[in-house]
Amino acid sequence: MELSECAVIHLERWINSMSNLEIRNLTKRFAGLVAVNNVDLSFGGDEIVGIIGPNGAGKTTLINLVSGIFYPTSGQILMDGVDITTMPAHKRTQLGVGRTFQLIHPLEDLSTIENIMIGFIFSQGFSKKVAKEKSEILCKSLDLERWNRSVSQLTILEIKKMEIAQALATNPGVLFLDEVMAGLNSDELKELIGLIKKLAKEKTIAIGIVEHVMGVIKELADRVVVLENGAILADGSFKAVMKNPDVIAAYLGGGNYA
Amino acid sequence: MKILTRIILPAIVVLLSITFPLFAGPYQQSIAKTIIIYMILALSWNILLKTGQISFGLAGFFGIGAYASVLLSLRLGIPPLLTIIVGGIITAILAAAMGMIILRLRAMYFAITTLALGEIFRVIIHNLPNFAGGAHGLILSSVIFDGNGYFTYWLFLAGAFFSIGLSYFFDKSKFHLALTTIRDNEITAKVRGIDIFKYLLIVFTITAGMQGLAGGLYSQSFGFVTPESSFSGDFILLPIAMALLGGIYTTAGPVVGAIVLGVISEYLKLYIPYGHLVVYGLIIVIVILFMPNGIVGMCSNTFRKVDQFNE
Repeated sequence: MELSECAVIHLERWINSMSNLEIRNLTKRFAGLVAVNNVDLSFGGDEIVGIIGPNGAGKTTLINLVSGIFYPTSGQILMDGVDITTMPAHKRTQLGVGRTFQLIHPLEDLSTIENIMIGFIFSQGFSKKVAKEKSEILCKSLDLERWNRSVSQLTILEIKKMEIAQALATNPGVLFLDEVMAGLNSDELKELIGLIKKLAKEKTIAIGIVEHVMGVIKELADRVVVLENGAILADGSFKAVMKNPDVIAAYLGGGNYA
Repeated sequence: MKILTRIILPAIVVLLSITFPLFAGPYQQSIAKTIIIYMILALSWNILLKTGQISFGLAGFFGIGAYASVLLSLRLGIPPLLTIIVGGIITAILAAAMGMIILRLRAMYFAITTLALGEIFRVIIHNLPNFAGGAHGLILSSVIFDGNGYFTYWLFLAGAFFSIGLSYFFDKSKFHLALTTIRDNEITAKVRGIDIFKYLLIVFTITAGMQGLAGGLYSQSFGFVTPESSFSGDFILLPIAMALLGGIYTTAGPVVGAIVLGVISEYLKLYIPYGHLVVYGLIIVIVILFMPNGIVGMCSNTFRKVDQFNE
């Protein structure tokens, strides 16, 4: 894609400040294993979509496919109508696909503020100086005050916030949060839930959140998508999905054995 | 304190290094020139190391630069000063072309490939007797500046300052953030918008250009090139030992390491001929075991502790 085309999309997103991600018939095979199986999913605006499913259901693989870590075996991914299926990861980021990682890996050789600055510099093209100012403002808005510390001195909550800030610095229109709540206590959970709600509504970011803690999904998600064996099992409101017999079967081993 | 370390101290060092030939004899000057050659190589190796990639291709690009420079003056009659610069540029272009292919490799696969490439250059030169002098090498009719020690030293010094400036740029600009991110975690680098291949290619090209420049300086000041001397393993081992001793990932490290190890090795050569190589090996082992941040890292740690104590 040409740079000017990217610029136009950036501009459009800035005007509408709404993004839309569309996944069509997405399939990923690892040798014999079908990790993601014919997934159709579309969301955008300020929607928060909970992505749940048993271990190995393909949740993280789906995020890896969308963010460009893996390329799909077949299917299509559209970001604001642009086909990003074969686009390298860094270009997808520049188009507004953001994510965090299940396993936190902060950049140990950089300070906390530098960890956040990279998004502003390399995804949005700001200078180092501007990036630093913007990062400080972002840190303040996330209550991440100790931005001059080295990463090794941060608490888990601070590292999680830093990772979210790092992703936000790339100016995402669609943001995937891969088990950000893992390892937090209930107070920290509450704080982060509030923060994510605020992000979606105030900054108009569509959020796809993978989570095992059902309380978090219930609290946050406008819509829940259940994956099992790589395929979508159910898609709907939290209440509807929780009543779905297929979902109950997937989680509890279900009806066939009862 | 800041004025002292930021302005006065560097000013004194610069002044001393410029006026050095006025109070040092030819022998000291030749040591200084050798140290500068290794310093440029150490600095360039360290810049690429910031991306996490270890190159053993130093000697290869050094030799290419040396041969390019000599061939340009012999075959085309270009003035020596210009051949050094053009030689560096030719090396950089060659590196860019190769980088397109080999920068898809990582870690030891990359390291081994660069080592092999350097060796291939040597073999190719070896087998071009008519064009590049084959095993006998090539001899220039005169050395640069007709052997004027002052001018030659200052030219070398200019090369050193240029390399230090480049290294400083990679330390302070956004390149520092890009390279460090790539070294720490390539997946994070990708999803935060960093075009990894682009940055690796830029750095590989520029550092190879620096190595070619050092080769040109070397061949024009000594007036000859041979496959064995211009592609010598010394140009791989010594710069790496110097960068490690001084402290990697910094600009000051390779500079300090080159001066310290350069001076030590001159003395060692007098007492244990060829035994200095054993000492290099020992230094690398000791540094890696006991001071992984090198001399500069150790000093800055001490300063930081003193600062904290004063607070």
